[in-house]
Formats: sequence, C-alpha cells, structure tokens
Amino acid sequence: MKRRVVVTGLGVISPNGLGTENFWKACLAGQSGIAPIEAFDTTGFEPRNAGEITGFNARDYVANRKSLKIMGRNIQFGVAATKLAVEHSGLNEQPPEAERFGIVMGSGIVPTDVEEVGAAIMQSLDENHEFQLEKFGESGQKMLHPLWLLKHLPNMVAAHASIQHGARGPNNTIVTACSASTQAIGEAARIIERGDADVMVAGGADSRIDPLSLVAYTLLGAVTTAERDPDKLSRPFDRNRDGFVLGEGAACLILESEEHAKARGATIYAEVAGYGTSFDGEGVTRPSMEGVHAARAMELSMKDAGMSPDEIDYISAHGTSTVLNDLMETRAIKRAMGARAAQVPLSSIKSMIGHLIGAAGALEAAVGVLAIRDGAVPPTINLDAADPECDLDYVPNEAREMKVRAIVSNSFGFGGQNAALVIREYE
Amino acid sequence: MSARRVVVTGMGAVTPLGAGHQRNWERMVAGESGVATIRRFPVETFDVKIAAEVYPLPRVPEDEITDELGIHSRFALVAGREAWADAGLDDARPDPERVGVFMGSGKGILQLDHLVPAAKEAMASGRFEYAGFLRRAMETLSAERRKQERYHQAGTHLGRAVGAAGPNWVTITACAAGNHAIGEAYCALRRGEADVILAGGTHSQIDPMSLSGYATLGALCDRNDEPEKASRPFDRKRSGFVLGEGSGVLVLEELSHALARKATIYAEVVGYGNTGDAYRVTDPHPEGIGAETAMRVALRNAGLEPGAIGYINAHGTSTHQNDAMEAQAIGRIFGPKGEAPPVSSIKSMIGHLIAAAGAVEAIACVHALRTGVLPPTINYENHDPECDQDFVPNQARETAVEYAMNNSFGFGGQNIVTVFRRFASE
Repeated sequence: MKRRVVVTGLGVISPNGLGTENFWKACLAGQSGIAPIEAFDTTGFEPRNAGEITGFNARDYVANRKSLKIMGRNIQFGVAATKLAVEHSGLNEQPPEAERFGIVMGSGIVPTDVEEVGAAIMQSLDENHEFQLEKFGESGQKMLHPLWLLKHLPNMVAAHASIQHGARGPNNTIVTACSASTQAIGEAARIIERGDADVMVAGGADSRIDPLSLVAYTLLGAVTTAERDPDKLSRPFDRNRDGFVLGEGAACLILESEEHAKARGATIYAEVAGYGTSFDGEGVTRPSMEGVHAARAMELSMKDAGMSPDEIDYISAHGTSTVLNDLMETRAIKRAMGARAAQVPLSSIKSMIGHLIGAAGALEAAVGVLAIRDGAVPPTINLDAADPECDLDYVPNEAREMKVRAIVSNSFGFGGQNAALVIREYE
Repeated sequence: MSARRVVVTGMGAVTPLGAGHQRNWERMVAGESGVATIRRFPVETFDVKIAAEVYPLPRVPEDEITDELGIHSRFALVAGREAWADAGLDDARPDPERVGVFMGSGKGILQLDHLVPAAKEAMASGRFEYAGFLRRAMETLSAERRKQERYHQAGTHLGRAVGAAGPNWVTITACAAGNHAIGEAYCALRRGEADVILAGGTHSQIDPMSLSGYATLGALCDRNDEPEKASRPFDRKRSGFVLGEGSGVLVLEELSHALARKATIYAEVVGYGNTGDAYRVTDPHPEGIGAETAMRVALRNAGLEPGAIGYINAHGTSTHQNDAMEAQAIGRIFGPKGEAPPVSSIKSMIGHLIAAAGAVEAIACVHALRTGVLPPTINYENHDPECDQDFVPNQARETAVEYAMNNSFGFGGQNIVTVFRRFASE
C-alpha cells in the first residue's frame, strides 16, 4: 500500500502579504499586491507595475547573515518561506532525522544584476567605445562580485534552506518555468510515497521583477502594458484581459508521511492525494489551444488520487490573465471535468498577486490547503466583463464560504510542461 | 505486484571528444583528452585559457537553428536524437503520452555583447540609470534570444523533437543534474508513469562571464601551457577542474516494454540515492558525509552489499576537496585499496560537463558493463595519500563487471548516485 502524504505546514511570502495568514486574509479580502515597481526606476516604461514584495527584511529569516550577500532576491524569498513553513509545522521543535528530511524547490533564473554587468561592460570598452572581450578579461570581469555565480544558481534556494534546517535527505530543484513549483510539490510527494524520506519541504521561489525580465516578457507580448490602475491590471478570465503582471515571492508546504506526522502529533491540514504531469510541444508561449495536454495533467492527477471530477470542490487555476491561457484553461477544465466543469468554482489568485512564474504553483497549492482548512475560497478579482468563451464559475470579485473537501491546482508552463495536484481534506 | 524493472535501450552523447556515444567510448578507452586552449572567443587576457570545448559544434537541421536555440539545447537535441534512434524508437513509435523527458540542464549563456547598447545608454550620465537601460534594451534585445537562457529550454526542445507528451521536467542540481535526471526517471518508470523516458543532461558554459565566474571561485585549473594535462583527478598535483560542455542522453525503458519490441538492452538501472550535504554552498562536506550517505542509499535501494560493485565511475572533478572527500567516502564503504573496486574519472579526459557530466558518466558505466573494459583516469602520475584507491591510472583495463556505480556530487551539496547492472536476459 502506498504511503499517504499530508501537509503539516505552510510558509508564504506574497506580494499581498508576508506570512501565510496575512497572505490568506488578503486573498479572501480580494486585496491586490500589484503596485508601481519600487526596485528600480521605470520612468517612461510600460509596464511599470508588478506584484512586488515590499517590507521584506531578509535578516528576519536567514540564520547565517554572512550568506546574505551571496543570495539573490528569489533565494532570500525561498529561504524565508521554508523558515515560515518549518516553524508552522513545529519541526523546528521536533527536528526530523536529518537523512529522512529533504527539500524540492521550483525556481527560475535568478535576475542578472544589470548595474553590476553594466559596470563590467563599461570597463570593457575600448577607445572607440566598442566592447572588447580582451578588456573584459583584463579588467571588466573585476567589476563583478567575485561570487556572483553563486548568487545566480537556482539550486541555491534548496542548498541554503537545507543548511538552515539541517535537511540531509533528497534535494532537488526543478526549473520548468510556470510549472516548476507544482512539479516540485508533486515530486516531493512521490519521494515520501516511495519511502525515500519522511518529511519534505516543497514549494518554489522566483523573482522576475528586474529590468531584463521586464524587457524580455514585454517583447514576448506576454505582459500587460495597459494604462490602468495597478490593481486592475491582472484580470484573469475577464473579457478585457490583455496579459499578465510579473510578480515575485515564494511559498512552501511541509509534506510529511502520515505516519511521521501522527507519531509527532502534528496538526494535519490536508493530504496531497494526486499529481499528474504532461507536456505539450506546440509552441513556447502558445499553449495548445484545445487544452488537450493541460487537461491530461488534471486527469492524471485525479486518477492518481483515485477521485472523480464530482469529488472536486474547487480549482486553484493557473489563470494568468493572458488571452490565450485563460481560454485554453477553460477548455481544458471542461475537457477534464466533463459535466462537473459547469458547477465547480475556480479562481486565480494571479488577479491579486500577478504571475510568480516558478513560485506560482506553490502559492496556488497553499490556497488549496487553506481553502480546505477554513471552508472558503478566494475570488478572481477584476472579473468585470464576462468573456463569452470563458463561461465557468470563476468566483468573481468576492470570496466565497463553502465546504471544500478536495481541490485541483493547475500550472501550465511556457515551456509546454503542465502539472496538476489534487489536495484533499485529511480523514 | 512485482516491481517494474528499468533498462537502458539507447544512448547518445556529444562531448569534447566528439559526437556519438560509441565514438566517445572508443576515445575514452584510448585515454584521449578533449581539453585545449579555448577557441570560441579570445582568451589571451583571461586567467584561465583552457576548456574542454565541443569543437566544432555539432550539426542540427538548418531550420532548427533559431535565435531561441541555445548551445546547450543544441547539444541536447543532438544527443537526444542519437539516443532515440539508437533505441530503435523511430520505428517502434511508442505512445507519445507514455514517453517522458527528464533533463539536467544549466542555464543558457548571458551574451554580454547583446547588453552593450543598453549598458552604454544606462551609464551615459556616469551613474547607472534604469530608465535608459530599459528604453535601449527594448530596442536592441530580442525576446527569442532571451529565451535561450531559460533553464527549461532543453527539455522543451527535446520533448518537441521526439514528440514526447509524457512527464517532462528539468532539474538544475548543478554538477549532479544529469545523474539526478536518470535517477528520477528510473523512479518514474518503476512507478508506471511512463514506459520510456529520455533522461540525461546538457550544459554549455564556456563563455566569458561563466569562465570568469568559475575562475574567481577558485575552482578552475589554470594549467594553460599544457591543457591536456590540466584535468588530473585524484593526482596529488591536481589544481582544479576544467570546464567542459556537451550532453549525454539515455533512453530508459520499462523492461517488458523493451522486451515486447525486441529492443537491444544495454544495461539495467537498479539503484538510486539522493542526499543533501546541508553543509556549505561553496564546499562539499570535508569528510564526504553526504556523498557517503548517497552511496549507501543507492546500495540499499539496489539491494546490494558494497562487495557487489565492480566499478565506480567517480565524480572525480580534479579539485583538491572533491577528490579527497570522495576517495575517503569510498574507502569507508568499500574498504581500502585492494578491497574496494576500481574507481576512475572520465573528467580527466573530457573535463567537467557540469549538468551533463553525470549523464555522460552513466554512458561510460553502461559501456564498461557491456564491454568489460574500464575507462582510465588519465594524467594520474603522483600518488596522493589522501586519495588511496585504484584509479585505473592512464590505461583502460579489461575487467568483467556485474554492477557499476555512478557518482555525482553537485555544487551546493546535492549528491546523486545511480547503480547499473550488466543485463543478462533471464
């Protein structure tokens, strides 16, 4: 018989709230965390709003302060989320056996520090103001922080966090863009299920609020450049949606074998019951429009959980606010859920926090756990004008109190990777 | 229910010794070095001027060379297609939904020269102005080129190239990533999530930024005058690793699926261990506690006693710390020289392929099992008392082996060990 995997802790660093309860309260209140970018000057540029983390002091979370200088922004968020989750689960007081305690994180490109690279480039110009590699080798490279490489490795979230928590078990970092942290949670659950660990920290951390990402996503046409109030920009499933808003942050779940959680008397919030993943190869930012492969990830996750669509009470949607994704996802949900699609509420917290890319799935899974815990689901805000092709119940604008026994959490990546989780009430 | 078994039915490699897994094996057995002075860009002013480059770059169909195809993705396409064809999957046409792609990958290259106009504009006033940077970057950067850098690109390109619609994921556990993908693919196949998974790694970081980044970490060997002697794992005079690049991909397949289509079976994957050091992000644990545990977990997972292992393909990077730590960890599990199995590091010949290293090393393990020949550790000239094992110095050796162990230890403390078995039909 397969080992059951339960959730015993959460940690969230979100643009609309630092800490799980602040995040959850804000989501239920429909509070947006999207605002003008503070990290750097965006004068004259569109977009200039994002789901930025503000009021975050890494020193509150990172035990080894010396290591802060080699931790990129998303690494700091990631380590902070793991700390919150470990404390929430009580594992800081009851440390698990080190070798049976692991971590899997979803992550992405750690933003290049353009100021630093800019200085290195300027140092590498010749008398004609042309860039010369010889000069970069001679003096330009000295402008870079000597340990810059470490600052920019995505596996450093898991590396720093494993050191902070003494986790010597399985250690992995998944980098499949928007699906990364959903896959991370799924893979971590599998590790416990097959008996390779008793406790896993699983989630994701990402930050794309930097000049290069802003330019790259804008060039792709994926982010909204509309002139609207910042909190109105992200509007998944709304007829006037026109692209996503970049975000940053992190979230972690503590996954534990049922046995281990019970033995230490842990509070069990939910069970990770199923995971499914698939690939659609039809274009990097264009999802397969019929949603066949996205639907397959959902179907596989329900099959893995041994559950039927009728047993699913809520879907934590990928809902990015792009024209294509939201249409495709609506179709995928219809395909995977059949007649149930018309009844099951779904919502996208990206309406409030933007797209956290490699961390998105982890925050959305956390929403699923909290919905089960508290019997309430967050709204999709800014859903003002119905899109005839997006005709499901997206929980528009107001949170809803309801009994939630099981949820599906969806993630569909730019690279074509799709992943879905089934999280259910623990019985 | 009896556990599903996992076998290797195809392989592909692109390394500094060339393209083709068979050709690579022949050159490794001959003890050839792929390390040379860097040819891709002028290196006169760099402290480290050597690397193990894939030179020239392997060919891919003209229409695939787009702005978004980074060098590392190109390597993955070439190695992955070779593995696919080698396994006879062109003809077998497995159900796409039951075919997955698991890759270890590094990032694509940050091309400094593309950023020059934006940097100049940003610095026009003497201090960095973001508005200027953004404005100019929008005009000069290309979204397609920016995509190259994304970590998931190799999995995406390879998944599309072979039409694999099953599980697709990319891991970035640094130097352990390629071996990690193999270990996780083995677990996924055993669990029944797919029938066939292309698993391996790809990496290319021989660019000015990365070269200087690794060099300032003090990790690279700067024996610029004798490139082919630079990588010398376990030798007392080792002084850092040599940056390599390339890709290795294995077709892993569930046994009954392979038998049903009468595939050639190269070897069986029988064990996997994964641990974290939880020590330091810059150094491995000095006593190799994490590495030792990973080897023990892999043995337990395979249901083997240490004495069953006939060959260890070492991580053996040629850095002082790794090699001493690894040799000692091996000694604690397998006993002293004479008792422990032979250990060798092909990094002596092809350098350190980072995220691809573990996959190419797995291919070497499979060939060793098949042919009864162990690849050598070249440049092994000076005995180091801290590394006291049989490293198959300088000459390949004929030895029939039943089980081979593949070690990979990543920067940041991820330790991955896989175990392969010679395949005998029963």
